[in-house]
Amino acid sequence: MNFLDVFTRTFRTLPGWQWLVLFAIPPLIILLYFLKLKRRPLEVPSTYLWHRTIEDLHVNSLWQKLRQNLLMYLQLLIVLLAILACLNPTWQGGQLSQDRYIFLVDTSASMSSTDVDPTRLAVAKKRLVTAIDQLKPDSAAMIVSFSDRAIVEQPFTTNRRLLKRRVRAIQPTQQSTDLDEALRVAAGLANPGRTASDETDVAAADALPATLAIYSDGRFRNPAQFTMGNLNPVYVPIGNADAENVGIVSFNIDSSPERPDKLQAFGRVQNFGSTSQEVVVRLTTLDPEPRFWDAAELKLPAGAVGGVEFVIDAIDSGEVRLELDHRDALSSDNTAYAAVNDRRRAKVLLLTPGNDAMNVVLTTSFIRELADVRIEDVNFLDSYDYREVANAADLVIYDQCQPDEMPLTNTYFLGALPPDESWIADTAVQLPQIIDTDQSHPLMRFVEMGDVMWIVDAQPIEVPRGGTILIDSHVGPLLVIAPRRGYEDLVQAFPIMTSDDAGNRFANTDWTIRVSFPVFMGNVLTYLAENSLQSDANVTSPGDVVELDVSHNVKQITVRAPGADEFVLKRDTDDTFAFHHTNELGVYQVLASEDGGVEQRFAVNLFDDVESNIGPADMVITQYEDIAARRVLETKPIKIWKYLLGLGLVMLVAEWYVYNRRVYI
Amino acid sequence: MNHDTTSLLPPELLVQLERLELVSRKIFRGRMKGERRGRRKGQSVEFADFRNYVPGDDLRFIDWNLYARLDRLFLKMYLEEEDLHFYSLVDASSSMDFGEPTKLMYAKQLAAALGYIGLCRADRVKVETLGQGRAPVLRGRASLWRMIEQLETIQPGENVGLQQGVKDFCLRNSGQGILVLITDLMDKQGYESALRYLLTSRFDIYVIHVLSPTEIDPDVTGDLRLIDSEDTDVAEITVSRPLLKRYQQTLNAFIEGAREFCGRRSISYILANTEMPVSDLVTSYLRKRGLVR
Repeated sequence: MNFLDVFTRTFRTLPGWQWLVLFAIPPLIILLYFLKLKRRPLEVPSTYLWHRTIEDLHVNSLWQKLRQNLLMYLQLLIVLLAILACLNPTWQGGQLSQDRYIFLVDTSASMSSTDVDPTRLAVAKKRLVTAIDQLKPDSAAMIVSFSDRAIVEQPFTTNRRLLKRRVRAIQPTQQSTDLDEALRVAAGLANPGRTASDETDVAAADALPATLAIYSDGRFRNPAQFTMGNLNPVYVPIGNADAENVGIVSFNIDSSPERPDKLQAFGRVQNFGSTSQEVVVRLTTLDPEPRFWDAAELKLPAGAVGGVEFVIDAIDSGEVRLELDHRDALSSDNTAYAAVNDRRRAKVLLLTPGNDAMNVVLTTSFIRELADVRIEDVNFLDSYDYREVANAADLVIYDQCQPDEMPLTNTYFLGALPPDESWIADTAVQLPQIIDTDQSHPLMRFVEMGDVMWIVDAQPIEVPRGGTILIDSHVGPLLVIAPRRGYEDLVQAFPIMTSDDAGNRFANTDWTIRVSFPVFMGNVLTYLAENSLQSDANVTSPGDVVELDVSHNVKQITVRAPGADEFVLKRDTDDTFAFHHTNELGVYQVLASEDGGVEQRFAVNLFDDVESNIGPADMVITQYEDIAARRVLETKPIKIWKYLLGLGLVMLVAEWYVYNRRVYI
Repeated sequence: MNHDTTSLLPPELLVQLERLELVSRKIFRGRMKGERRGRRKGQSVEFADFRNYVPGDDLRFIDWNLYARLDRLFLKMYLEEEDLHFYSLVDASSSMDFGEPTKLMYAKQLAAALGYIGLCRADRVKVETLGQGRAPVLRGRASLWRMIEQLETIQPGENVGLQQGVKDFCLRNSGQGILVLITDLMDKQGYESALRYLLTSRFDIYVIHVLSPTEIDPDVTGDLRLIDSEDTDVAEITVSRPLLKRYQQTLNAFIEGAREFCGRRSISYILANTEMPVSDLVTSYLRKRGLVR
């Protein structure tokens, strides 16, 4: 904008000649004042004393001069105020201009950064309160806090006190950030009927455009598949661009393959800042007694990742902690937690009319290390104990038999189908040719079926919803796994052993004499029976739902959070225990037994490089538009000509007073 | 008594004045015998002292009785009665022509009153105006009309500096007797040098500082260009309460300065507001200050 533009924009409120008249007034006043100031002559006996008096007053002459011409100054001030009022000046930053605002407040882990005092969230809340104060009296606003989920803290209201109270009540979380959900929540009123793809569909309500103000550090994965529509997005970045942070991005514990009496701990540390950092990484175990094991020093250039490895004595169960001895803006990623649980032997129940190959495989030392296998005849299905034993087992193998109802555990059917309508068998075939195996599935890991030459009888299966084909043949799936509420059912379309009418038993396939069969059975037991929480598998993030598999047939369990809060869980409809309150970082204890002993542990870690990379983003990039950062929301300038004229009126009264009572000034 | 006499000295004041007498703190040698006792011993009736005869003394004053007793010649000495020199020096500058009555009128009344007291007591009375020439010496009550006539001729506008006027006066007159300087002291050169001139002579000096109410409490408002009546000097003021307050402070400092200056030099300073009647001033105020009794 050049000077001419500014000039014309400034003086467009009045026609030019009127401005000339207006600007002619002050010189006129000055002129008239000095003309008028032909002081009244008065002859006095002597000016001797007066001169001395004036000289004394000249000591503070500025004020005296001012006072001598006070009336003129007041008159000039009045005219100047009038001119200023005619310019129609405005007060920037006074009032937010729009009628509707949706305030999105990021409460994710990175907002707990202390690069701004005291935290980013506190600063965001403060700015938000300021913005609420600037709302027009009839403006409505809505407050949504978001981390990995969006919470409508306050639906649209014009009640500012309520809005501010809700803002102040917003608490930080340790969760990751998902802007998508927050945007969808926000867009509900602004873009009604979004789901209708039909052009002729009549929107349920009129669209109510709103300004969407995102108070965040911009550290989230960019939302996809979202159009702003009637939302006018504004991104208010919070945080310092030069904030330094070093964080642990992964940590796990595994048993040492060479030395069974040792545990290996691996950690990865990343420097997200722009300067090189030296950090000390320390490993401690907390159970039964806190014990410091080892420390390592890492030199991390800007953006670099470093790894540490520690070997400690094996512990049965407990908590292991990896800590960074380093002060930075985000402290929550400076500690990583891992839980070590008892290696509980799985319980397996095999119901079979007689299966030598299976018997052999399940009695190998490898399997016996993994699980206690109980082998019963199919008649056991009708026994009184069957239900209790089946429900207590981690895996029930039904060999050519079928229960009346499914047990509350994982199952493996051989040559039979689960008693469920979703499982449907095709017509029986002979000698199906295996054409494919799903090697990516853990069950099929290292299982090479190429040397299986023949399968005599088989009855291919139709894959139920959610099912996965593990072995496919030219006539249909032969091995399928499908989820059932909290469990999984593995169904094999052919038996291992068959019998003729005379009761002679013979092999139905040559798979049992191949190497792949014991490997597969090992996978079955590892995957289906030993799926309790293990130390090396816990990558639970804050806010995740943890499904707890408790072997005991208990109705409720208690979970103790790191902050010592206790949550009592009852079995869900799918007979699992789902734990939702994983908001804190640290190790959670599952107390299942009646004596209050710790049954299991699981760790919740941040491990989110998006959150740990705390430097605020310059802009929010959505699929269709980029939202540039803006320090403040656009405000409607307040017109202040009324106040200026009011002030001019006050000046006029003051002048009148001075003129009439001037002796008393 | 003509009309002019009445305007300057009302008859009732004359009656009061006749009972008064000018008092000098110093004793001066008069030229003629007057009605007051001099320090000089001489020919009179009131005995003062004896002294040894020396050849050439007037034989008439030898105390023959003492000679008879002591066989030594002694001369009898008598206190001589002397007259008093009384000078009124009136400031007739333009600045005195202000007030109601004007300060000059007030000064003339005052000079007339004091002069009349002197005339009644056979003192030598001389009324002069600053900057004017020599004035006649008056003596005896009969000279009242002459004195009044002389005072009537005094007109404002004798804008000679206070110092110059006093200097001229001192050169013309011997430094003996009572001098009453009636002035407003409004001289931009300052009054100090003028008073110092007076001090070099041996006058018993009285300064009567005449101020009009308009000077003591000026009733002015608005933006004014004050023009000096004597030298047309201009002072521009915008009247305000602090200004008036400051004026009062300046005036008080001026008066106090003059009072202190005079006090330190044995000059009697008397402040006269023209609001106070001359009769009151003379019969009461000046009496208290010891100029008359």
